[in-house]
Amino acid sequence: MSEVRFIEALKPRSRVEERELIRRVLAGDPGAERTMYETQVDRVFRLVYRMAGDQDRAQDYTQETFIRAFNRLAEFRGEAALSTWLGSIAISVTLNGLRKVRRSNEREVALDDVMPAAPSAREADPDLKKRMAQAIDALPDGYRAVFVMHDVEGYTHEEIASSLGVHPGTSKAQLFRARARLREALADFAKD
Amino acid sequence: MDDPLEERLRKLAAEYHEPPETPREEMWEKISAARREQRKVLPLRRAAGPTFRRPLRWAAGIAAVLALGIGVGRLTVRQAPAPIAPPVAAMPTSPLVNAAAYRMATTEHLGQSEAFLTLFKASVKGQRDERLASATARQLLATNRLLLDSPAADDRSTKLLLQDLELVLAEIAQLSPASQSHDRDLITQGLEQGGVLSRLRTAVPAGTSPTRGAL
Repeated sequence: MSEVRFIEALKPRSRVEERELIRRVLAGDPGAERTMYETQVDRVFRLVYRMAGDQDRAQDYTQETFIRAFNRLAEFRGEAALSTWLGSIAISVTLNGLRKVRRSNEREVALDDVMPAAPSAREADPDLKKRMAQAIDALPDGYRAVFVMHDVEGYTHEEIASSLGVHPGTSKAQLFRARARLREALADFAKD
Repeated sequence: MDDPLEERLRKLAAEYHEPPETPREEMWEKISAARREQRKVLPLRRAAGPTFRRPLRWAAGIAAVLALGIGVGRLTVRQAPAPIAPPVAAMPTSPLVNAAAYRMATTEHLGQSEAFLTLFKASVKGQRDERLASATARQLLATNRLLLDSPAADDRSTKLLLQDLELVLAEIAQLSPASQSHDRDLITQGLEQGGVLSRLRTAVPAGTSPTRGAL
């Protein structure tokens, strides 16, 4: 059996199976802990990596997410899916981690290095992919999280709302603003 | 997202920080090692006593904030000397006392936030300098997080309001003197769309004066 099919076979098929898995983890079954990890880690790692953009940090934040989740599993009430609950922990861990990195960078890097470059003519910066990445990086944390979750990773607004602890309407508004900022940042490319 | 740029944006966004294959084994080894360490420590902690420290810590925190508020109030308001009362034995903290303390702290915080956001909105409209806004937003954000994390936070509508407020305060906290007016406009638009300010006004009982000494 391939690894992908093996993981698919492990995945709980319903909320009842999910609850049973959680009950086993809480009872101290190490096999259940591993199953929970195996079935959720891809989704968590993908989201964290998209936000962090760095292998080492993504690994650190993913590990911290699972350690926290196992420690706080008794607090999980099952109102949302386990994956959504894990997503909320992952986002919180990642944003906090990135804030710390930013603070420490601000202390270390000279002002000239952190000042954003003035918008340049298209001829001077033809790499749209790079510009897009820079524009996404420049979004405020909240906008970036919603944009990455919805437009990049395909989460629904309901899932995002549960993960970020906001209303689905807030998630939609944040996405609208994030897209507006990206459109603005890449406006010179739209003139084609 | 229908126009050509949107389609191009969408394709480019899919390539943003494209994740490599998940290093499952490597991460699992570290997670399970950390879990083993925790299991060694946890039995020792459990043996040390019952685990209701967290609520007590919160109650102590809220009580400290209230005591500080009362202290500041007494220093700023001159009153006739009160007759000396006999000492009263300290009462143990009950869940009812915790809930009442939480409600008081929340009302105070929501009132301060409402006043702050009203001033912020006015300053944006009036094109005035709001350099102090981000510092105040950071202070309010810290209190907001404490209230959200409190185990006494069991009222769903208050919790939702605090969560929406957190987003707005976080956006203001990120403002810098270099921020464009566009950023401020987006925040005020968000305030209006989410109805945060009107919900705050509804949540704060009329007649409370939460802003004294706060802003």
